[in-house]
Amino acid sequence: MNTLTIILLILTIGAAFTYFINAVNHKLTAISAFVTITIATGYFFGLAELGDQFKFALGDFSMQWGLNAFSYYFIYIVLGLSWLALLYSIAYMEGKARLGYYYGAFLLTIAGMFGVVISQDFISLFIFWEIMTWASFLLVIYNYYYNIKTEGMKYMIFSAIGAYAMLTAIVFIHHYYGTFLIGEALSKGAFSFNQHIFIPIFLLLGFGIKAAVMPFHVWAPGAYAKTPMSFTAVFSGALSKMGIFGIALVFSTYYITHNAGGFIASQILAWMGGITAVMGTIYALIQTDAKRLLAYSSVAQLGYIVVGLSTGTKLGIMAALYLAVLHAAFKGALFMVAGAVEKQAGTTDMTKISGLIKRMPWTFLVALISIITLAGVPPLGGFVGKWLIYEALITESNNYFLAIVIFFSSTAAFLYSYRFLFGLFLGQEEEETKDVKEAPVTMLIPMLMLSFVSIITGVMPGLVFNPAAKAMNALGFADTNWDMTSLSNIWGNTTDLSLIGIFIIIVFILGFAVLTLKGRKKTKSVGTKDISSSGELWKEGENWTFQQDFFKPFQRAAAPLYKFDMDKIWSDMGNALEAFFGFFRKVYTGNGQTYAIYVIAFLAILLIFKDYIFN
Amino acid sequence: MEGIGFEILGALLTTILAFVVGMFFGGLNRKITARTQNRVGPPVYQNFIDLMKLQAKRTNIAHGFMGHVAPIWIIIAATTVLMFIPILHDGLWFRNLTFRGDLIFLLYMMVFGSLGMALGAGQSGNPNSAIGVSRGLSQMVGFEIPFVLALVSLMIQFQTTSIQDLMAYQHETGQWIIFANPFAFLATILSYLGMFRYSPFDIVGAPAELASGPISEFGGKYLGTVMTGGSIFTFVKLVLMVDIFFGGAGNFGTGFWGVVAGLVELVVKTFIVYLIPVFIGLVSPRFRTEQAIRFFWKWPTVFGVIAVLWAVFL
Repeated sequence: MNTLTIILLILTIGAAFTYFINAVNHKLTAISAFVTITIATGYFFGLAELGDQFKFALGDFSMQWGLNAFSYYFIYIVLGLSWLALLYSIAYMEGKARLGYYYGAFLLTIAGMFGVVISQDFISLFIFWEIMTWASFLLVIYNYYYNIKTEGMKYMIFSAIGAYAMLTAIVFIHHYYGTFLIGEALSKGAFSFNQHIFIPIFLLLGFGIKAAVMPFHVWAPGAYAKTPMSFTAVFSGALSKMGIFGIALVFSTYYITHNAGGFIASQILAWMGGITAVMGTIYALIQTDAKRLLAYSSVAQLGYIVVGLSTGTKLGIMAALYLAVLHAAFKGALFMVAGAVEKQAGTTDMTKISGLIKRMPWTFLVALISIITLAGVPPLGGFVGKWLIYEALITESNNYFLAIVIFFSSTAAFLYSYRFLFGLFLGQEEEETKDVKEAPVTMLIPMLMLSFVSIITGVMPGLVFNPAAKAMNALGFADTNWDMTSLSNIWGNTTDLSLIGIFIIIVFILGFAVLTLKGRKKTKSVGTKDISSSGELWKEGENWTFQQDFFKPFQRAAAPLYKFDMDKIWSDMGNALEAFFGFFRKVYTGNGQTYAIYVIAFLAILLIFKDYIFN
Repeated sequence: MEGIGFEILGALLTTILAFVVGMFFGGLNRKITARTQNRVGPPVYQNFIDLMKLQAKRTNIAHGFMGHVAPIWIIIAATTVLMFIPILHDGLWFRNLTFRGDLIFLLYMMVFGSLGMALGAGQSGNPNSAIGVSRGLSQMVGFEIPFVLALVSLMIQFQTTSIQDLMAYQHETGQWIIFANPFAFLATILSYLGMFRYSPFDIVGAPAELASGPISEFGGKYLGTVMTGGSIFTFVKLVLMVDIFFGGAGNFGTGFWGVVAGLVELVVKTFIVYLIPVFIGLVSPRFRTEQAIRFFWKWPTVFGVIAVLWAVFL
């Protein structure tokens, strides 16, 4: 049998098995799920090879699955992150209800994502897309099983809109080009923006909604924050990347031909990505719940990736692919951190807890590394992504003002980055968090492994460039220049990351040694109540934490930006539609005589126009 | 003249030079401030005395790990940027690592110290520090925008992202970039006002209001290290400005006296640039944070946009 089929079978059978074994023993559920993903991952990386293909005919449709370098790249993200998230789940979900439901849906989502990236025809793409959406919907409502709150509804409605748009596009492709195969449609130019422009637009709508691009992002913050954190890591890290996968696929025609219609579309999408980044960021920094903060930040980060994809230049797409992996690493780790804090301290509300650094040092270390990566500060991996995206915008595609927009977003990202670390880990150590313990080891291991990705890519980004270059090759870019440890743009300017890394480490070690050894015996460590307070003494029970309205000055300065609320626009639109259809509903009067008139009127109209209709 | 020993010696010399000049600039600032306010003021070497006093403190108060390493992050930011910008024009002396990093890297490296400091200040648990950090980071979003606009305009105009190339251009044509793109200079110098945090942008560490803000919990060797890093960073920022807009320094050949003349030129040029934020600080009251941000998003940003358009269309 074919490797791809076997992996899909392992995942789906594992999902069903996990679901049913929960009735027998709760402890076996998590282990069964973890074993399933381990087998699937091991099998894939051990046996699957580029070029593997599987075909079968189903009536008139022939379905085709295959593995090329581009899908392989995304499978790294999907399987790698899922494996870590399921390892993390063992301890995180311990003692919670409906474990079979949780793990079953989780494995099914993974199967869906895996299916999406290996699909080579639109029918299986759509089927897997729906499996992925529905299974993840089950996880979004996991905490609200008996009472589906608005967040679940929003996710469902937007996913449905996306799916219908996609289905429409698929039907049109078959109508105009007579094929369901993606490769064939590509070669016939189905995604070209110069003919049948609504096909790529509908497809982009479907994929863009999953990638949470403005103005279709409103489902994302709620869905990311309400889902169990162990799944959100995959949700934001891998599942949203399926949208990125699709957008790259749709634009692959433009990447090669550089047609005029594609240029306009890519510019529009790039600006939408830029606005997504800005709005996601400024909403992230006013959140008081760490989970919501990360959720908005995810929206913003996907904005960068969309910008990179839309530039259509080598550096831009490299930036997008690189950030896709890196975002999975650092945001996966950060959601896991939020989950660990939630499990150990009971809440992620930053106004309620603070000063966890001494209670959860390892979790803090992961959070620190991931936040530095998120902020894009050298010498960690995030800087590489930032560098690539700026250079792509400035040197290769003349999008100077978009570069400024992105820069604004990533500078404002420092604010929420700091807010996250300060809110949870720094600041006053209050009585409430005195008894918090460090997270269990099985939760720390995946987090530390993800931070390791952030660290190693900072000095050796080539480890990611290598598969990314192959993926770009599959998209049609003939040669992509990359180096293991340095970055260079088309003007010939380079940045040598290994040198920067070595220099910073040397200075850090020297400085740390000097600062620690100098007057070591005379250095006294004190608690957070022992501070300069202008003569006022701390009284028992007094709260000295500064957490409310943390960035009020910024909020005041950027007040006009906050006036624009997409959520409100969508709900207004919903209300307007409801009123509109409410008006039409009035034809149903409930009176039999009115209905009789409708029937007679209909027959009369039919009689009058019979020549035109029946011809 | 080659070899790793020579490189390390050069790096050390550069750091010491930056440290000494930065400290003296700080002292001169205090002197100038005093004279304007009709005081005698401390001697120009007062900062050295302060530093020695801080390093010799009998007790040091440590506020946890992040507080302990925060001063090192400032040193890292200052020295790394110092290593990656050209000190003198000719590539032999004080060359360090200038060929290995570009403007985007410097841009990010320059915020590294502030962020590290913010984390250290956060761990102390002092609410004043946290308020100071909140203000400082917000203000940073303000002044970074015109700064980046100016840098982007230069990148477009000269088709390079490396300072080395910008200096080479000025050397070859003899035209300083302040004349080649004056609006970029305006945007940069205005955002430098925010970067230096003198009045009117000194609300971050407002002593009378916030007990010095972020640094209020640092003392002894920690404050001493912060001060050292700050002094180096002052010089670094000024050298960056001189390199980009004023043709750099050191066009007197590679001989010993040529290098000395170059260094003198550098010190004179940086000091003149330094006087701009100092003088403006002397006569300005204090902006609230949101006023400061609004200020940066108004005229400096307009200048920055003009600079970009200038670079694109001229």
